[in-house]
Amino acid sequence: MPSCQKEKIVIVGAGPAGVSCAAELAKYGITSTLVDEAPKIGGVIYRGPLRQASKLPHLDENLKRAMAALKVRYEHHKQDITLQLQTKVLGPEGESGLLLQTENQLTQIDYTKLVLATGCHERSVPFEGWQLPGVMLMGGMQLQLKSGLVRPGKKVALVGTGPLLPLVACQLHKSGAQVVGVYEASRFSELAKETVALLNKPKLTLSGLSMLAYLKKHNIPFKYGYGIVKAEGQEKLSSVTVAPYDEHWHADLSKAQHLAVDSLGVGYGFVARTQLAMLLGVSHQYTTTNGYVPLLDDNLRSSLNSIFVCGDTNGLLGAEAAIIEGKMAATMLAYEQACLSESTFHTRMRKLKTKRKQTQKFRAGFDRFSALREGLLALTQADTVVCRCEQVKRQQLDLALQQGAKDLSSVKMRTRIGMGDCQGKMCSSYALDRLHAAGHLGTLGVIRPRFPLDPIPFTLLEKNHEAV
Amino acid sequence: MKQYDVIIAGGGVIGAACAYFLSRDTNLKIALVDLKKPGNASRASAGGLWAIGESVGLGCGVIFFKTLSKLQSEGDTEAAETLRPHQLPECFFELALKSNELYPALHEEMLARHDVDFKFERTGLKFIMYNRDDEIYADSIVSGIPNLSSQIRWLDQQQLREEEPYITPDAIGAIDFICDHQVNPYRLVDAYTEGARQNGVELFLNTEVLDVLREGNKVIGVRTQDQSLHCETLINAAGAWADDIYHQATGKHMPVYPVKGQIVLSERMPKVLNGCISTSDCYIAQKDNGEILIGSSTEEKGFDTTNSLDKITELSQGAMKCLPILKESSIKRCWAGLRPGTPDELPILGPVDGVEGYINACGHFRTGILMSAITGTLITELMTGKPTSVDLAPFRVERFE
Ligand SMILES: Cc1cc2nc3c(=O)[nH]c(=O)nc-3n(C[C@H](O)[C@H](O)[C@H](O)COP(=O)(O)OP(=O)(O)OC[C@H]3O[C@@H](n4cnc5c(N)ncnc54)[C@H](O)[C@@H]3O)c2cc1C
Ligand SMILES: Cc1cc2nc3c(=O)[nH]c(=O)nc-3n(C[C@H](O)[C@H](O)[C@H](O)COP(=O)(O)OP(=O)(O)OC[C@H]3O[C@@H](n4cnc5c(N)ncnc54)[C@H](O)[C@@H]3O)c2cc1C
Repeated sequence: MPSCQKEKIVIVGAGPAGVSCAAELAKYGITSTLVDEAPKIGGVIYRGPLRQASKLPHLDENLKRAMAALKVRYEHHKQDITLQLQTKVLGPEGESGLLLQTENQLTQIDYTKLVLATGCHERSVPFEGWQLPGVMLMGGMQLQLKSGLVRPGKKVALVGTGPLLPLVACQLHKSGAQVVGVYEASRFSELAKETVALLNKPKLTLSGLSMLAYLKKHNIPFKYGYGIVKAEGQEKLSSVTVAPYDEHWHADLSKAQHLAVDSLGVGYGFVARTQLAMLLGVSHQYTTTNGYVPLLDDNLRSSLNSIFVCGDTNGLLGAEAAIIEGKMAATMLAYEQACLSESTFHTRMRKLKTKRKQTQKFRAGFDRFSALREGLLALTQADTVVCRCEQVKRQQLDLALQQGAKDLSSVKMRTRIGMGDCQGKMCSSYALDRLHAAGHLGTLGVIRPRFPLDPIPFTLLEKNHEAV
Repeated sequence: MKQYDVIIAGGGVIGAACAYFLSRDTNLKIALVDLKKPGNASRASAGGLWAIGESVGLGCGVIFFKTLSKLQSEGDTEAAETLRPHQLPECFFELALKSNELYPALHEEMLARHDVDFKFERTGLKFIMYNRDDEIYADSIVSGIPNLSSQIRWLDQQQLREEEPYITPDAIGAIDFICDHQVNPYRLVDAYTEGARQNGVELFLNTEVLDVLREGNKVIGVRTQDQSLHCETLINAAGAWADDIYHQATGKHMPVYPVKGQIVLSERMPKVLNGCISTSDCYIAQKDNGEILIGSSTEEKGFDTTNSLDKITELSQGAMKCLPILKESSIKRCWAGLRPGTPDELPILGPVDGVEGYINACGHFRTGILMSAITGTLITELMTGKPTSVDLAPFRVERFE
């Protein structure tokens, strides 16, 4: 088949957005390379304890259909998609390449057009005692469940916001743990109605009960407008303090409650996974909901002509929107190479944009979950560590702010926040939110994440013969 | 409208050092204006104070050396013996050594007065020899600097093993430059900046000098994105970007251009090096927090700051050959910085003929960290009308005309 293709296209992330983009490109006869560090395509929906389940009870019917349709599209166009799984993109290489790491090799790949569909990750919130063994993010909690590490009888509390909270609570209970309480920071009146519907939807895996009904039946307290104050323990977690939150999530300490637990799951939303986009030099803007997100035009093109961004990387959208955005990027790329006519392009793009609008309802619901209220910033004490890797305490950050640091780089230079192994994934959102709260919106500054995004064992380079 | 005696354009190690020394020794009203551009050199640097090492083309200059040493082994021995190391002129040695001497006292002063610690460490710099070629090279270095023989130690294989047990047993010996040391370069910039702030310097961070304001042949200030700042004297410490400022101030161009250097950094390791190391492939320095820094390439690629697999591989292989224990560690980080290069590898310092209210403090190429203390001192001497501790003639921009 004579191809109209002029560009070498690489897509990073084989979640709904990336897979959809690759399949759509193939529809126009355009080949692409799709890279993901995971061993399977599909993205985050298939991670966690639910991965093995052939059914995905946490997804609603629409989404299940959408994911099934995506699989069919992928299978149909497989021959035009070069799939590189278990391949981590470590960052840019030279001026138009990416550095890739597989199990035992370091390689690079060149592109002329790049699509970033890297999704998002959990936001970490420092509070007194957050570093104690036993305190973990919801993702970590799910991992424990999956690996069978949750022993019956274990006492667990969950704090945070969003539908993951009741879901994980149900799963914990099913695997024998004693869930002493679930504390949703938002008040019931603030939840989007789509969310409430999701919480009340019957699930097969819960013997036909909804998540909330399941919790109720098993006497697991689910409290709205409540959240974490602190965690305590000697060597490891032994108790947590929770309290009612006001609408800005400031805790009312006069009504604090203490709970004896061995485990605490924390889930206060997600931040876009934009490290790669930042390393590549794409311009970003700060949002209270998702931290930094790339600045994009109407057709998902970033500030760099050769780079497109779609899916959760561009703010938390949900899987259906991610699928649509993947198509949008592909349509634009096809049009640019003259693989489709101007009028077809406009018609298709218009349709896609209309569909995306419809899915934004879900996003509104999720955004609320991710909107970090200022009260959460007040949970730290002067000596609470706010950067784990470098063991930086809050008072050091306070001092840097007092001394006039108005941007993340100065904060980093003065305190070492973000210089450790996690690359600021954990702490930079706290530092950013503090700078934002201190009114330095104009100067926050983008800090370029470190290259490479993950450490490279020196031995991988021993046999590389690229050296002169 | 804000009026200053001195505005410093650029807050890398050079601008920050000028701000610190000026504010320490004068009562001038000073502003420092800096926008961190990608590739700014000071934060990319290795932090070596390798006064002798750099002057003879080791350390950061080792890539030059490598090409030379290849030539050497290909040619016959007669020709090899006449090949000289990449040795810089006498005035460079003087500047480097004078600057180097200032650090021990500066370190204590800044700790005591400003509670900042730039992690000065007495390390020496060892040039590791693997073979006869390296030995010939070391010989010619040493014979090129007879006046500095008291600062050089020869280590045989046994001594080297005792002093640096983690260096490969294949090494046959080393020469050690006793007076070459290291600092933590971020902390040095930070220390100068914080000291200057405590001494009353106004900091305009995240602020770009967009235009230089002039009245005839006199520079009267700068325009930033927020406002105009006026001054009696503008100091150009804009690193690899210095020619932009120079052009606006004088209408002329000067040869300062970016020279890219890539660096590879390991994860933290227990202490495996007692001193800084240079081989014919790279230099290796274990920093105060345990990370091992491996540098660096020398590339003229404009303002490009990307890392490339070929250089990362080259540096890593060179370092693993010298320090095999690295194979137990990982690369935590790589980066590239833009050295402010000049054709003769000397900095550009001092006023400019026919232009009032303007001073150059730029072009420090691969030794700006080392040269920052003397540069701050010289600029302060100039501003107060004192005789300068070093003759500035060889460093003035007019040398290129
Ligand atoms: C438990 C759970 C329930 C959910 N329920 C719903 C729901 O009911 N409805 C809904 O609409 N949405 C739901 N979502 C959200 C939905 O999963 C996401 O919105 C969707 O997956 C976003 O797709 P994406 O392609 O943008 O990103 P992702 O699915 O996150 O995919 C990104 C991919 O990029 C890869 N990647 C990232 N960086 C690199 C790198 N440097 N190198 C190599 N690979 C990289 C990752 O491995 C990942 O596979 C749920 C999510 C979870 C976790
Ligand atoms: C890889 C590498 C290793 C090195 N190792 C060593 C070493 O071991 N020892 C040593 O002594 N030296 C070393 N160097 C050299 C040293 O880093 C430089 O010589 C030195 O940092 C130069 O300092 P500077 O202040 O002139 O430039 P910079 O640090 O680049 O500072 C200039 C500043 O001015 C800013 N600026 C530019 N234009 C404007 C404007 N218009 N408005 C506002 N701000 C502006 C820039 O963004 C920057 O922040 C190394 C360099 C590299 C790249």
